[in-house]
Amino acid sequence: MNALAFYLAAVIAVAATLLAIAGKNAVQSLLYLAVSLLAVSIIFFGYGAPFIAALEVIIYAGSIIVLFIFVVMMLNLGRRAAQAEEQLLPPHIWIGPAILAALLAVEMIYLASMAAPAAAPAQAAVSPRAVGLALYGPYLLGVELSSMLLLAALVGAYHLGWRRQAFPEVKDGESSSSAAPGGDSLRAGGRRSAGAA
Amino acid sequence: MTASDALALLPWIVLAATAIVVMMGIAFRRRHGLTLGLSLAGLVASLVSLYLAAPLAPRQVTPLLVVDRYSLFFFGLLVAAELVIVILLYDYLGRQEGPREELYLLSLIATLGGAVLVASTHFASFFLGLEMMSVSLYAMIAYLGPRRLSLEAGVKYLVLAAASAAFLLFGIALIYAALGTLAFNRFAAALAAVPGHAALANTSMLAAGVALVLTGIGFKMAVAPFHLWTPDVYQGAAAPVTAWISTLSKGAIVALLLRFLLSFHAAHRGILLVVSLIAIASMIVGNLLALLQDNVKRILAYSSIAHMGYLLVAVLAALRAGNPQLAIEAAAFYLVAYFLTTLAAFGVIGALSNSSGEPELVDDYRGLFWRRPAVATVFVFSLFSLAGIPATAGFIGKYYLVAAGASVAVWTPVIVLVASSVIGLFYYLRIVMTLFATPDPLPRAFSGRITPWSGVVLGVMLAGLVWLGFDPNPMIRLLHSLPPL
Repeated sequence: MNALAFYLAAVIAVAATLLAIAGKNAVQSLLYLAVSLLAVSIIFFGYGAPFIAALEVIIYAGSIIVLFIFVVMMLNLGRRAAQAEEQLLPPHIWIGPAILAALLAVEMIYLASMAAPAAAPAQAAVSPRAVGLALYGPYLLGVELSSMLLLAALVGAYHLGWRRQAFPEVKDGESSSSAAPGGDSLRAGGRRSAGAA
Repeated sequence: MTASDALALLPWIVLAATAIVVMMGIAFRRRHGLTLGLSLAGLVASLVSLYLAAPLAPRQVTPLLVVDRYSLFFFGLLVAAELVIVILLYDYLGRQEGPREELYLLSLIATLGGAVLVASTHFASFFLGLEMMSVSLYAMIAYLGPRRLSLEAGVKYLVLAAASAAFLLFGIALIYAALGTLAFNRFAAALAAVPGHAALANTSMLAAGVALVLTGIGFKMAVAPFHLWTPDVYQGAAAPVTAWISTLSKGAIVALLLRFLLSFHAAHRGILLVVSLIAIASMIVGNLLALLQDNVKRILAYSSIAHMGYLLVAVLAALRAGNPQLAIEAAAFYLVAYFLTTLAAFGVIGALSNSSGEPELVDDYRGLFWRRPAVATVFVFSLFSLAGIPATAGFIGKYYLVAAGASVAVWTPVIVLVASSVIGLFYYLRIVMTLFATPDPLPRAFSGRITPWSGVVLGVMLAGLVWLGFDPNPMIRLLHSLPPL
């Protein structure tokens, strides 16, 4: 990976992250976050770790960010839903992330078109096979521990979510009194989809 | 992994299995007593399995974990503390509304995380263990929900713990870049192999990495510059959960800190300076800010900051000493005393709680001795032990720390330790005086019945405190068998 390619991706990653933090619009912040993750995956790719680069795209930019965006968009449903939906993705929100993503795409094509993996200090590419053998060989316990970690997260999320439904009157009172745009919770969204059907 | 690897790891496996069994138990039958029974049985089984694993120690099990007397000792300490907390939870949750069973499951997984930390010799298991504790703690702290300060405390802990995890990961990346290994036991060899011309760059990168890792560890220990979350979280969480945070979470991370820092064999001078500054700052900040508080849980929070500062004196001594044995013993003994004391104090707060809250203000304890003499006695002794008054475990612990510090002549932290303990005496004794004050004629809110379970646990804690204070020799003999890492 040559220096120019690295610095371009690195600058995009830092800039996109800053924009994601500074942005006031949740959807726009998430789009910038996705761009930042794509930039990091380009750096991985350039340093001879295509498998990690692919994982970064699939897991972070793919599933997690898409999940975030769906949740944010769903939370925006409610009385002002139609209005909100129009305002959700006007061009000025997606144009910035789109430009950065286009730059990354150009860089990706450039890197992929170079015949040999560039003269990176990081030696041979790490194959998925090697990753799998390490994970299920010496680091098997790590995989098991991760599963316990996920179990804790799942149980915790379940418990905190349960409580919200157990005291609906408190919850609704709060959200309707502070009627900020997008403040209506999933319940309002349920009503709306029933009407649409 | 061979069969004897699995046998060496049996306590950890039993603990993990306990969490799974408790989860399945909840799935099939949601009964508070059943969940308690399963948890207790599993915890006792994992304590018993320590005897099966002990003959195999020391043994490196996969690159991630090591089973030696050090990790077995701290495993036993953590699981015993979890046993106590589970019993305290039973009484506490019995007075609350809503689902109770998940808290046992979460605390078991968090305990497993702590148990992984005390045995980890690799950054991967270090980080996984730490995150198992953090993720479980988010939900444990917020468990009581929005009706009290619980949810707010949970969110505060979530944000700050996530930020500190980012520091930790960046530190790990820098250390990996400098040394090319994530395994603690290869650090010394990797340092020795650094070629001369790159030595300077590598050591400054390494020092930066270690400093960032110390930031992550310091957050969990709640030492001075990283302590801001402590009072709010202590106040917001349920009393047994607060006990969990201040004992298991801190004990596990201290055990890891010693193993991590000692694995370099030669400590960087900058790191020594940083550790001693953190120690001094924690002792002063903790003790001074505790003076300003009227809330017992917040006082105990600041006092725990000071206590972690005291403990860092032992860590410092271990780094400075040619043979860290004495310092490790001092740290381990101090942790045992601190566990007993803290569990007793939060046990009293939890036992006096009712469905609407806990006795938090110092005024809630006015004249407690005349109303509930037994409970008040436990509280008095735990406060004495926190203050380090002779004939309690806390005194012997502090004596040990001073001896360890003096043996390697780290005079400034030792002097600060002694001086700030004197300040600490003031706010502990203020609570004690309140306990013996003339009670108001008005009926008090927090004077419900103590159930036999809590009574037995508090009695055992009291006996342990006094016993260690009068006759610490059996414990010291046990600690002599700890390896010097």
